[in-house]
Amino acid sequence: MANLEVKKHMSAGQLAIVVFVTCIGAQIMLTPRGLIAEVKNGAWISVLLGGMFFYTATYFMLRLGKQYPDETIVEYAPRIFGRIGGGIVIFWFNLLFYMQVITIFYGVGRIITFYMFDRTPPEVVVLALLVVCTYCALQDWGTILRIQQFLFVIAYSILILVWLTSILNFQPENMLPLWPLDIKGVTLGSFTTWGMYSGYECVLLLLPLVYRKVSLAKLAKTVGVAFVGLSIVFMLIIVLTIGVLTVEDAKNLPFPSLIVIRSVELPGTFLERLENYLLVTWIPVVFDTLAAMMFFMAEVCMRQWRHADHRPILLMLVPIIYIGAMLIDTPQVNEILGKFTMWLGLSFSFGVVPTALLLTWWKKSKVGKDCG
Amino acid sequence: MAKKKWIACVLILFVCIMISGCWDMRELQDRNFVLAVAIDKADDVKEVETFVQPHGSKRYRVSLQILKLAAGAEQKDESRTFIKSNTGESMFEMIRDMLGQSSKSLWFEHLQVLIISDAVLKEVDLGEILDFFKRDSEMRSRIKVYVTSGKARPIIEFSPPSKEPGGVFLANLSRLHLKNLHVTASRTDLGYTVQHLDNKSDVILPRIEMVDKVVKLGGSAVFKKDRFIGYVDEYAVAGSKMMLGTEKSAVVTIDSPKTPGHQIVFELFRHDTTLTPHVENGSIYFTDDITMYGNIGEIQGDINVNDAMDPEYLRILEVAFAEEIKRNIYYTEKVLKKEMKVDAVGRFASKLKAHEPETWEQVKDQWDELYPTIPLYVSVNVTIRNIGSHK
Repeated sequence: MANLEVKKHMSAGQLAIVVFVTCIGAQIMLTPRGLIAEVKNGAWISVLLGGMFFYTATYFMLRLGKQYPDETIVEYAPRIFGRIGGGIVIFWFNLLFYMQVITIFYGVGRIITFYMFDRTPPEVVVLALLVVCTYCALQDWGTILRIQQFLFVIAYSILILVWLTSILNFQPENMLPLWPLDIKGVTLGSFTTWGMYSGYECVLLLLPLVYRKVSLAKLAKTVGVAFVGLSIVFMLIIVLTIGVLTVEDAKNLPFPSLIVIRSVELPGTFLERLENYLLVTWIPVVFDTLAAMMFFMAEVCMRQWRHADHRPILLMLVPIIYIGAMLIDTPQVNEILGKFTMWLGLSFSFGVVPTALLLTWWKKSKVGKDCG
Repeated sequence: MAKKKWIACVLILFVCIMISGCWDMRELQDRNFVLAVAIDKADDVKEVETFVQPHGSKRYRVSLQILKLAAGAEQKDESRTFIKSNTGESMFEMIRDMLGQSSKSLWFEHLQVLIISDAVLKEVDLGEILDFFKRDSEMRSRIKVYVTSGKARPIIEFSPPSKEPGGVFLANLSRLHLKNLHVTASRTDLGYTVQHLDNKSDVILPRIEMVDKVVKLGGSAVFKKDRFIGYVDEYAVAGSKMMLGTEKSAVVTIDSPKTPGHQIVFELFRHDTTLTPHVENGSIYFTDDITMYGNIGEIQGDINVNDAMDPEYLRILEVAFAEEIKRNIYYTEKVLKKEMKVDAVGRFASKLKAHEPETWEQVKDQWDELYPTIPLYVSVNVTIRNIGSHK
């Protein structure tokens, strides 16, 4: 069958949308508790600092990609780190997506069965979502990109609209003191926001589609706009959660965002139980994140094993993803995995990528000298 | 051919799965909508209203008010709800056992009100009673929580003359709290109560009573953290609302300066209330600055003597209303702070924490002992903007 959706190029704006959509995903429901418990009233500052840190990490990735304009990390990692080192980096890179995907599936299964379908086993919810995401990820990048663009406009606007109804219960005083006493805690807390911003690593795979068309400066600016958008959304989540629930209440709740929405009562309307509306708009948001990440996983394997098509590999990955999600059977395991993934991601972004960049520069400068 | 058959089989199977309906489907008529819950002490255990417990004792009697899902014509003058009760210790276990009395599943998503008898609260902490309700996914945050000095079950048995379902009527009683100074209903529902408990704040809840088939909300039940310590009257509730600025409208009465023994009434339309913590040389005090704008709502006594058109007399009345509001607030301070040693819904603590975080860090461990000694300075300014539709 003719493949009509193979995508050879995309604009910087499209890349920014992909970064935004891939990052935002499930974490708006899953992360706030841990961050608020750790940083308390200063969580909003941690979110902003986190945005800056992870934008810096993304900028390193853009710089690295610029050195290899027509290649993805799968092609140039072995050239930088050697065959075995490169293999480890590629595995590491793909493991990041895998760990995020299984923890998101676990979290979604847990939330949906607790708040929406209490009779349906989480295994079935996860399976249904996995089928839908697989169907999407089986398409070529052009189709996935179009879905992401569509959902970026539709799902996110509704999600934010529903979320903003919680302003009705917002108590500004709950946010005080705005400037926390524990500055060190706030700074360290910004690294734990990796769970919120993670997904930006996808630029290492997508840059070849953009670079021939756009300069690094423009790309950095456009992706920066995506990070500004992400920081605003995450800050909105944190500020409203603390403003409605207080720090002490929020840290006792597994999913504070849902309780925030559950507290909203719209007088004189037929709309009730707004958490269901939030969940309904959240599902497409999770779907496009998962579909994109599953596509990236299959794409990495395809390039690594030099296949022409990502689809058979994706189908092979599906049971591994399902089993991984099912093996997380308690919140404790999920928390440990979350921390493990966070360190995996942080060390990749702030260890592997800068090292790769330095090695590339060093090698290039050496080549220049050798040429005399 | 065989391939086509396989595809057809898979398609049929797929269609069967997709059109067989939702896994979690529950028809409306197959549910018993619980509108109100009453929690009493289990004084006398009826044999049918209990079950064999492996643990605990017959401590509570939980009663559920359930909506009758019958057509209007069938009901006529009957009550629109009916009651089921059970005795035991775990709320969840009692409710599940109650399915033995019900032909349909019990559905709590529309629960409106929770009424707790103080006999229960004298023995058990509020947090323990509320745990099931805050944990269960069917419960709403905006469920009203009331305390009664008598039994709770008769209150949910009450059939309102308006023929509203009882639970809805009981919940709506507190909706007009912004206009009724005698009802504490701001931030007292389940969600806020759980929030106060999580913040280790003191809690106040509206008091509900039923006498001779009249149900009334007024006054407050007061909790030190989650331990019930007693009630405060309507006057103290009014003072606390004006102190914290949680009222939207209010009625303030004074004895007429010119015709003693007759009352003059001020109707509040708008106010600006600011409770501010101050720290000076290590000592803490609060100021409460209140500015009120309103109307003369009622003059008893001779209106020629109490001349509302006389600007000088209005100034006298403004001062008198301001004094009365101050007196009311100091009365509340005396009752809540000095006698009961309660920081109503933790408002003073949260103000100090929010505006003076460094001081709060130093005193938070001794706050309970320190709070009753912290001075409050109230200043009230009343402006009468109107005299009503008549002199």
